[in-house]
Amino acid sequence: MRRVGIKTLLGAPMRAALICFVFSVIGVVTNAHAELHYLIVAGLGGEQRYQERFEAQAESMAQAALRSNGDDSNISLLIGHKASRESLIAELQRISEVITAKDQLAVFFIGHGTHDGEQYKFNLPGPDIDGETLASLLENIPATQQVVVNTTSASGAVLESWASEGRTLITATKSPGERNATRFGAYWAAALSSDEADINKNGAVTVREAFDFAATKVAESYESEGLLATEHPAIVGENSFALNLALLQERVLMTAELEILMDELDELERDVETLRQNRGGMDNDVYLDALQSLLLELALVQREIDDVRGIE
Amino acid sequence: MNLRIIFFSFYFFCLQSANTQPIDYSADRDSALKTCDEHFYSGQRQEANDCYLSLLSSSTDALIRAESAWRVGDLQAANAYFRTGVEINPESPRVRTRWARLFLMTHQNSDAIQLFEEALELNAEYLPAKLGLAAVAAGRFEDRAKALVQGVLEADELQLEAHLLNAQMSLEEGALEAADESLNEALMIAEQKGLPPLEVYALKASVDLLNDIVESEWTDLSLNFNPHYGDIYAIPAHFYVITRRYREATELLFKAVSIQPDLWSAHAELGINLLRTNRVNEAQHHLSLAYDGDPYSAQIVNTLRLIDSFENFQVLERELPEIEADVADADKAKRPGMILRLHKDEAPILEEYVASLVAESIDVFSKRYQFELQEPVVAELYPDHDDFAVRTSGLPGIGLLGVAFGYLVAMDSPSGRGEGEFHWGTTLWHEIAHVFTLESTNHLVPRWFSEGVSVFEEWMTGPRPGRHIPLHVLDAMKEDKFLPILDLDSGFIRPTYQGQIMVSYMQAGLICQYIESRWGQAGLIELLRLYRNGAVTAEAIEDGLGVDSNEFDEGFDAFIDSEFQSVLAILDDWKEHTERAHVAANEGNWESVLDSSAASIDMYPDYVEEGDIYILHAKAHEELGQIDAAIATLEQYWRLGGYEPGVLHQLADWLYESDRSGDAIEVLSDVIFVAPLDESLHRKLGDWFLESENGELALREYLAFLATSPHDEASAHYRLARAYKQLEDQEKTREHLLYALETAPHYREAQQLLLEILR
Repeated sequence: MRRVGIKTLLGAPMRAALICFVFSVIGVVTNAHAELHYLIVAGLGGEQRYQERFEAQAESMAQAALRSNGDDSNISLLIGHKASRESLIAELQRISEVITAKDQLAVFFIGHGTHDGEQYKFNLPGPDIDGETLASLLENIPATQQVVVNTTSASGAVLESWASEGRTLITATKSPGERNATRFGAYWAAALSSDEADINKNGAVTVREAFDFAATKVAESYESEGLLATEHPAIVGENSFALNLALLQERVLMTAELEILMDELDELERDVETLRQNRGGMDNDVYLDALQSLLLELALVQREIDDVRGIE
Repeated sequence: MNLRIIFFSFYFFCLQSANTQPIDYSADRDSALKTCDEHFYSGQRQEANDCYLSLLSSSTDALIRAESAWRVGDLQAANAYFRTGVEINPESPRVRTRWARLFLMTHQNSDAIQLFEEALELNAEYLPAKLGLAAVAAGRFEDRAKALVQGVLEADELQLEAHLLNAQMSLEEGALEAADESLNEALMIAEQKGLPPLEVYALKASVDLLNDIVESEWTDLSLNFNPHYGDIYAIPAHFYVITRRYREATELLFKAVSIQPDLWSAHAELGINLLRTNRVNEAQHHLSLAYDGDPYSAQIVNTLRLIDSFENFQVLERELPEIEADVADADKAKRPGMILRLHKDEAPILEEYVASLVAESIDVFSKRYQFELQEPVVAELYPDHDDFAVRTSGLPGIGLLGVAFGYLVAMDSPSGRGEGEFHWGTTLWHEIAHVFTLESTNHLVPRWFSEGVSVFEEWMTGPRPGRHIPLHVLDAMKEDKFLPILDLDSGFIRPTYQGQIMVSYMQAGLICQYIESRWGQAGLIELLRLYRNGAVTAEAIEDGLGVDSNEFDEGFDAFIDSEFQSVLAILDDWKEHTERAHVAANEGNWESVLDSSAASIDMYPDYVEEGDIYILHAKAHEELGQIDAAIATLEQYWRLGGYEPGVLHQLADWLYESDRSGDAIEVLSDVIFVAPLDESLHRKLGDWFLESENGELALREYLAFLATSPHDEASAHYRLARAYKQLEDQEKTREHLLYALETAPHYREAQQLLLEILR
């Protein structure tokens, strides 16, 4: 098993001494004590072109995970022959032992899936793994915030059986009948490293942002080719929509000064949100003036933070 | 013969009028119906109705009951009686044939054909069934209609309906003398057999009409015979429609429904014609009346649905730039503008590009054809191809991508087909050329010349450079399938082989090129003038170009030889090399691809149609690491009119990376004519325009980018802000920065620009 296989891709892990990090754009901070664990599995391609595609997607997702976590200690990448049924079961069992309820879990399944009318299977080197087994393994993981992304064909088959309280479940297809190889995985991988996916430009891509980006791109890709879409991505469970899945830049160390500035920024951001919500009926010029006042202040605080962090 | 009785599903859900029932000319029509028929044909409606009702209650014959029920408008009962008739008399071809006619009248052609064929299985020589099949084929403009009619006349030259069908088809092809001969035969038979002459009169009036005799004696004869016979106007109107004289057709159809208000087919045709001249509300009124009377017509239902869908369209009125005072007097300075009907989802993206191309085409054609438009051009772009198809249903030889009804042009929008599947800019250019040829001749231009000018203008002045002839047309050219100029219209209206319509388009375009090369642009203008004055093609060629049609055809043949002889000689070799290049590409043998594709390009360098030989050649260069050569290949492809959007994006990117941003912009700008709904196109083009300090065009592109509802809306607003800043519009800059930051408060670049402008 290649639990931390990413080391071989990206060299030595980043320094382990960092205790607390701040995102590249201040204002979005995860629970200081929670840890985000990633499990990324590239299944069997069947053909070389698919194998290469799936592995490239998995590695791209792993890069995004590393960028976000700062080190690879909580990143599991199962790829190639290592992505066997046995290894996958073992890794999910291991995660269930090390992860705590306050931690967060992100699982990405990449590859082909099948559905024979009764049972969903995720295609792996050697024996496949069925949907029920995976559901059971995932259920044993105590993290109360989970994101499970199944990018395989026929993945819509698990929409009900894998749904769980606290879990946001994303599938590439809306039903088991959508059996063609999917495009969703490629766009999901892209979303985790895309400025375009980061709608609010805070430097982090949330679950919702990544899903919206990938689903939009899938639809556009079929439309632009004049094809009927053979996949319709689905998302259920709102609990983890706001979870930051990936940072777009490396983490930096948090300081006391930064913490104060970030609080200010948070407050201003809340004010902007409040103003937006109260906009109804407000004269547009008045609204824009009020918005400008808040955004200017916010920009100045942001600049101060960047100065402290030494960002140009 | 053991034929099964088929129980057709016949969905008559209400009582219907049957006054549009065609006349039954068959010799074996039951004599019991004769008295009622005489009342009916002479317009004594009440008497006819009473008579048929009496038969309906007194007759025990299912066929007589069916015919009577049909005539009093109870189609459901007629259907049931026909079914009973078949059950009682399964060996009778007569019953099945008449039943088939009922289906035909209610637009269920496939069921009708099945019954006609069953009748012929019972009696292979049963002429009314053959005529039924001929009527279906003629209605679909199928060439086999002629053979069917000919077969009937060989068996019995006194079949009146066969002569009528012959006349109809001759008229549709513009063969007026032949039509008149057929009608004289028909008239004589009607007199001999005591059959009602009304349809003969109507077709006679049509001949007069096409000979520019508007006040026809046949109309008076018909109205004397039956003052409520609306088809005396509606049938001639059909020939106006197929010769694209929609305004005149509309006038006749108004007369038809005024003397016969329950002539539903005329209401339908009137509604469709009114729509062709953008009279939407009146169109809806007459189509609704038609639907109430004839709910079986898919054309009526689809057109009404199309009108309903107009609520999803934006109607945008645009002015044309005024002509400079020194080239026109003040009255002419202000020209009619344009009206665009665009789907509301696409209008914000497409409006500028469509309006700009329409304006440019009007300028170009006004000068080239010395004709000023008198009304605004109406351009409709349909995202749903089926909506566009509704516009063209029932018309022969109409293009698959666009149609012009005079000042109104309808076509697929770029999203009506897969991205890159068609060059909408060329289609629009082609259709606007039709506006000029139709309107400058008062719609008297023959189809071949109108199409020819449009194709010729695509090649000469359109947004896609070059003369583009599909491979199958070159094959047809090689097989000597081009038609003499006097027969060319039949290649559009009644094609005799697969692909002939396209062959006819190309031949017409080449004929116009030939005219221009020998007689200059003045030759084309002169032909338009002669057509406007009522000349037919033979006269126009002789008077306008000074040669007779035979000499013209010989000259054209020589022109084709000089232009294509060398290409046709190597066509087979070219195909072989091209095929070889594709096989090598599939094997990943790029050296071999390079050799074979180079050979193909050397043989026929102008060809950028199907086969993608330039693209393959460039791909081979790329695979072999020869990017400069790949760029050069694709530049040649693009300059020759190649327009595959993915390829042009790649070329533009390479040019941009090679510090040739001006060329990159030029290439990418051409993608607008193929795939304008792609957000990345507008984003990239806007960025490049902005970099080159062209704020106006950057703004245009960024507005289109925002209109595509991009996933990253904040960046669209930020880009707009930058464009406005370049244009020194402080207020708009601020506004769009605030919109960007409203969505993305942490958007650093937007923050910095906001601080900068408010400093």
